[in-house]
Amino acid sequence: MTTIIEARQLQKRYGESLAVRDVSFAVEEGEFLSLLGASGSGKTTTLRMIAGLEIPTQGTVLFRGQDITSAPVAKRDMRMVFQDFALFPNLTVWENVAFGLKLRINRGRITREQIKSRVGQYLDTVQLSGHADKMPHELSGGQRQRVSLARALVTDPPVVLFDEPLGSLDANMRKVMQLELKRLHRELRKTFIYVTHDQEEAMGLSDRVAVLEDGQLLQLGTPDDIYFRPSCAAVARFIGAANVLQGVAAVVPGRPFGVQLAGGLRLEAADNVAGVADGEAVTIMLRAEHTGVMPADGDAAGGLRAQITERLFLGEKVRYELKVAATGLLLTAVAGGDQGRLGLGDEVVVTADPRHVRVLPRAAAPRVEA
Amino acid sequence: MSAAPGTAGSVGPVVPGGPSGADGSGAAGRGRRQLMIWLVPPLLWFTVFMLIPYCMLFYYSLGSTEYMTFKPGFSLANLGRVFCEEPYLSVLLKSARIGAFTAIGATILAYPVAFCLAFHTRSARAKLLIYLLVIVPWWAAYLVKAYAWKTILGTNGIINALLLELHLIHEPLTLILYNQFSVILTLIYIFTPFSILSIYAQLERIPTSIVEASSNLGATTFETLTKIIIPLSLPGVLAGAIITFALATGDFIAPALVGGPDAVMISNVVINLLGVAFDWPMAASIGIVVIGVGTALISVSQYLEHRAQARF
Repeated sequence: MTTIIEARQLQKRYGESLAVRDVSFAVEEGEFLSLLGASGSGKTTTLRMIAGLEIPTQGTVLFRGQDITSAPVAKRDMRMVFQDFALFPNLTVWENVAFGLKLRINRGRITREQIKSRVGQYLDTVQLSGHADKMPHELSGGQRQRVSLARALVTDPPVVLFDEPLGSLDANMRKVMQLELKRLHRELRKTFIYVTHDQEEAMGLSDRVAVLEDGQLLQLGTPDDIYFRPSCAAVARFIGAANVLQGVAAVVPGRPFGVQLAGGLRLEAADNVAGVADGEAVTIMLRAEHTGVMPADGDAAGGLRAQITERLFLGEKVRYELKVAATGLLLTAVAGGDQGRLGLGDEVVVTADPRHVRVLPRAAAPRVEA
Repeated sequence: MSAAPGTAGSVGPVVPGGPSGADGSGAAGRGRRQLMIWLVPPLLWFTVFMLIPYCMLFYYSLGSTEYMTFKPGFSLANLGRVFCEEPYLSVLLKSARIGAFTAIGATILAYPVAFCLAFHTRSARAKLLIYLLVIVPWWAAYLVKAYAWKTILGTNGIINALLLELHLIHEPLTLILYNQFSVILTLIYIFTPFSILSIYAQLERIPTSIVEASSNLGATTFETLTKIIIPLSLPGVLAGAIITFALATGDFIAPALVGGPDAVMISNVVINLLGVAFDWPMAASIGIVVIGVGTALISVSQYLEHRAQARF
């Protein structure tokens, strides 16, 4: 694997505010990398700096080791798929797709015959062969996005950039297009850099995910890393449903690692506990699906007692919002099977397998900054 | 409905929201009656100041003149004279030519300004400033602005004074005032803002992402301009050009103030027919022809605009 694109300490300032601060990462050739974050996290600005649509205030963008930080947009070997599709409304579907290739005629790099066959081939790829002569406004949202995809891919760029490409599609069309993108990536073996605020989309499509918040890169890793080994509370909270709790490490030789929570509650933890000293303040994460709930009949000394304050039906599973009676602590649990039959207001005992109680790394503790 | 549609047009004592009859006319009927009341003033205005004058114009054009007095009649002879008798047709054509030059000149000047305003002015304050600079001259009376050109181009005007001072000429230039050139120059100055706003409004509709997509696909700025931006802005260009052409062709003040005998335009001819020759039927016939040509032009341009208007 070789690095195709590298961002080095990218920074973008708009007036007083920093949209992106010191973001660095490397993208491998052929990789599907997602930039994931809420709106205002700096993910789109980062992508636009790679595309050349924004010039970084500081930092460098490298393409195959060459500095392209201030290279003109048109000279960069990458194509972008826009959220609003950005199709040329004065051109037909065919002309839209052929646009990038036709520019090369003037530069003597391609013949008309080649354009014809390539455009036809890519319209086939996105299943729009029958719509070649239509105008963009005659197409549905999903079809327009396919045109914009074909327009980007037809010039055979090594890198394709996506700026929330499915953001303006309805939920069903989005699912269809996700599969399509995954297939295209597998078949074409191009590098995809994909901006999205939808964590499921990012986790499902990508080889690696970069989580951004407030213009900073919080974590870059495989979906598995991000999900099970988040670098900090912010990532843990952002991805999936997780309980992130503050406590104090209770390390007694010969006994399992424990975390003392407020109100005398105690959880045992087993994940990532090496090197944590007794009495140290720690942040732990317990995913909602690893948070067990048992009906609290009779005596249950071992767990936390809580009450179900909300019950959401998710299909095969049920999501409970819980309130720990003793301290008012709020927890989320996702349960299935027998545990899914509890009702609103039921008293439950919360259980947690120590292997799933993860101590979050100290180094990247949540930033306290305005 | 308590009121029959036929009576709704008359200005009867219709009380909005009044007690509705027993025939079940509800909120919809009331809403419609209220709408009618709102429509009465503009309809009246349109009737009194536009419809009736058009009819009168047509009526006068059919009559004839005897001993400088109007005589009603029913003849198309005057309309025929517009096309056959000198100087009407040639003045009409000359006016159209001046109008066309004005429209072309105004478009050429307006396009770069509108383009900068739409794509290269990022700060809202700068945008507002340029916008104001474009509009502010309209606050001054047209007559004053046309007169200003007289003082710029005149024998004792600013240009001649400057050239004399620099010893580039020894006697004042007379070529720059009282001819078609000075009329076109003045008209371009007056009407360019129309073109700017018309083109700008169209350019503003073009999403930035389309321009970005074009350069992302490898197009140079020039290619983006010729292949995307100009085609997409054509409806605005066309609309601006038609307005400018129509206003310039029918202009009276510029030829009267800065135009010489060579730059007599159709409005000046009409004024003379009305005020000097008292040939009202002839004046009305010219009016009919001008209105007819104008309507035809606007229809054609609207058709073209509609066809060229890309849907975003």
